Amino acid sequence: MADKTPFDEMYNPDGSVREPYRALAGWLAEQPDKALALMQTDAEAIFRRLGITFAVYGSDEGTEKVIPFDVIPRIIAANEWRRLSKGIEQRVKALNAFLYDIYHRQEILKAGRVPEKLILNNAAFCPQMMGLNPAKGVYAHIIGVDIVRVGPDDFYVLEDNLRTPSGVSYMLEDREAMMLLAPDLFHRSKVAPVENYPENLRRTLESVAPDTVRGSPNIAVLTPGIHNSAYFEHSFLADQMGAQLCEGPDLFVDGGKVYMRTTTGPEQVDVIYRRIEDDYLDPLTFRPDSMLGVPGLFDAYRAGNVTLVNAPGTGIADDKAVYTYVPDIIEFYLGEKALLQNVPTYNCTDEDQRAWVLENIADLVVKEVHGSGGYGMMVGPTATKAQHAEFRKKIEARPDNYIVQPTLDLSTCPTHISGDVAPRHVDLRPYVLIGDEVRITPGGLTRVALKKGSLVVNSSQGGGTKDTWVLED
Amino acid sequence: MRIDIEHKLTLSLQPGTVHAVLHLLLTPPSGPSQTVESWSVEIAGIGNAGRFSDAYGNAVHLVNQSRPEGDILVAARGVISTRDTNGVLGKPGGEPVPSLYRRVTPLTKAPVTLYGKFRNAKESRLDVLHALMGRIGETLGQPETEDAPTQMQATGEQAQSQSSGEAPELPPAADYAHLFIGAARALDIPARFVCGYVAEGDGPAAGLHAWAEAFDDRLGWIGFDASHQLCPTERYVRLAVGLDAESALPLRTVPVGDITQKAVVKAV
Repeated sequence: MADKTPFDEMYNPDGSVREPYRALAGWLAEQPDKALALMQTDAEAIFRRLGITFAVYGSDEGTEKVIPFDVIPRIIAANEWRRLSKGIEQRVKALNAFLYDIYHRQEILKAGRVPEKLILNNAAFCPQMMGLNPAKGVYAHIIGVDIVRVGPDDFYVLEDNLRTPSGVSYMLEDREAMMLLAPDLFHRSKVAPVENYPENLRRTLESVAPDTVRGSPNIAVLTPGIHNSAYFEHSFLADQMGAQLCEGPDLFVDGGKVYMRTTTGPEQVDVIYRRIEDDYLDPLTFRPDSMLGVPGLFDAYRAGNVTLVNAPGTGIADDKAVYTYVPDIIEFYLGEKALLQNVPTYNCTDEDQRAWVLENIADLVVKEVHGSGGYGMMVGPTATKAQHAEFRKKIEARPDNYIVQPTLDLSTCPTHISGDVAPRHVDLRPYVLIGDEVRITPGGLTRVALKKGSLVVNSSQGGGTKDTWVLED
Repeated sequence: MRIDIEHKLTLSLQPGTVHAVLHLLLTPPSGPSQTVESWSVEIAGIGNAGRFSDAYGNAVHLVNQSRPEGDILVAARGVISTRDTNGVLGKPGGEPVPSLYRRVTPLTKAPVTLYGKFRNAKESRLDVLHALMGRIGETLGQPETEDAPTQMQATGEQAQSQSSGEAPELPPAADYAHLFIGAARALDIPARFVCGYVAEGDGPAAGLHAWAEAFDDRLGWIGFDASHQLCPTERYVRLAVGLDAESALPLRTVPVGDITQKAVVKAV
């Protein structure tokens, strides 16, 4: 991390091309001038036609943006992916075991491997889940693991997303667009397919239907509605899976079972892929002012008559303060060492570490424990002196509210920037499905910081996406 | 002691309510201190109710009604035989791990002045809990001896606003329980809220009542009624438990309506 030249995934430091990028390099060299620029224009048109837009909060109604798509794919070699996916599988299994444990006997707390207070008094811990046995013992069925790469063999997990991770529709549409834009490129490489994600999602959801369901389970996707920034994705996935897309008022609870209002009468629902946050799921159990949820839904879930995907209370496993314990969690439940590394994280409640953090804040990343989407966060190297001072004060006032990490030099990938190709920083969010088995879609969503030198890949802050290729042997 | 209970609740909803969902914690459990001889819950739609156990081990009925006309009436009645265990319940199975009840909720926050002096106490946990109960009695005074149906839902905040009034009302039983629970949890002792019934006799008036239970590693769960400075006797019947009054409410509904309730509790 001290090395100032970031790892480039395409070029070795001597300028030679890394193995997985050979075919791409050849193809790029053959492209006439302006070919990439033309592709970029076509890509924009394709995305508009596919209807992939996202609403920008706070802007005028109808302002829908297309997330910038970069026409140069990001490529991961088969052996690299095997290692990565093993590490991911290990992680999601351990996190589900952790969730089962803390909502039952809490052995890991008794053993003192994770501090009890950190869990029990955490806002993300859901006491209503105690003793509930979800189908197949799975709590988090859909997980997006945010991974960054800093070297040929160095991958770090930045964050585990176990609530309602989004973005998978971009992964799918990026591939579709790429196949339309450069079909010839796919002839030169064997690329693992991602198109079966909706089918795998459906299989996963079916596999966790309540035991009492006979025949094919009835699946619904529950969305907060058209004003949600991910509404497109909700309707897209429902459509792709052949499931019903519904909002809270479309569902009701009767006799402890959940039904959907349809033109031909009520239809019982067995599995709900909900994209509504825990707090808003059910005004009877959670926030009483929720207009988005279904009254009695959680009770129907507790009664075993419906499966909620993901289960409420999974957020405790991706809490930023719990994150630092994931290597211990893996050891505790699986008896294995973590295959994927965590980003080193400083604990500000420790006096020595805090002193060091305050001194070196300009080089560090500070994150609020309960923040997300880049809010309540400071990236030392790009922040102003005033911001450094502000965060020093914040940490001193509430050391337990922040975690601090070194600034990681994310790997770069060649990216099309106004007619040229230049390296830009990327991250990776693979999508994992957990039901009767663990299904990891090869690759995932690559986000790219389009601004030179920028490490911020969030689409809300000028990030774009790339099609992500996992090569097959 | 055999105790006959009749608990009636009336829910008034806004006229025009299309769909009402009711979450009932109206089924007392059998346990070390009590055996349910007979019990029934009556409400329109009970035959079709969802039945399950909640996170705290309470038996729940989920009842829904479409286009209810007028008030919704609920009646729970039956006979419970009780035993005097000096408030000690032991460690019955089928309950969540006691450590769950170290979670602090908005209703269960106690000032450090209440429990601070017990922090490094040399006494046994049992002695500390008794001393804590005494301290809460000194702090809040004796409650009025009316029954507590409407007091069940009172929060700490309400108690505060009441006590700032001209003629301060004494806090209801739920506030004693919340303070006790908050202080116990601050001392790392698991403690939970109990909603139940009391038959006539010394101490609280007959009817619906609330108290607390704390966990001792040796004896298991032990009841403490700080409002009357005693451990539950054979006159006490446990109905439901939770982290605080909110999670142990006998009736919770969507939409929210006005609830009036009365429990007639008699030794037979």
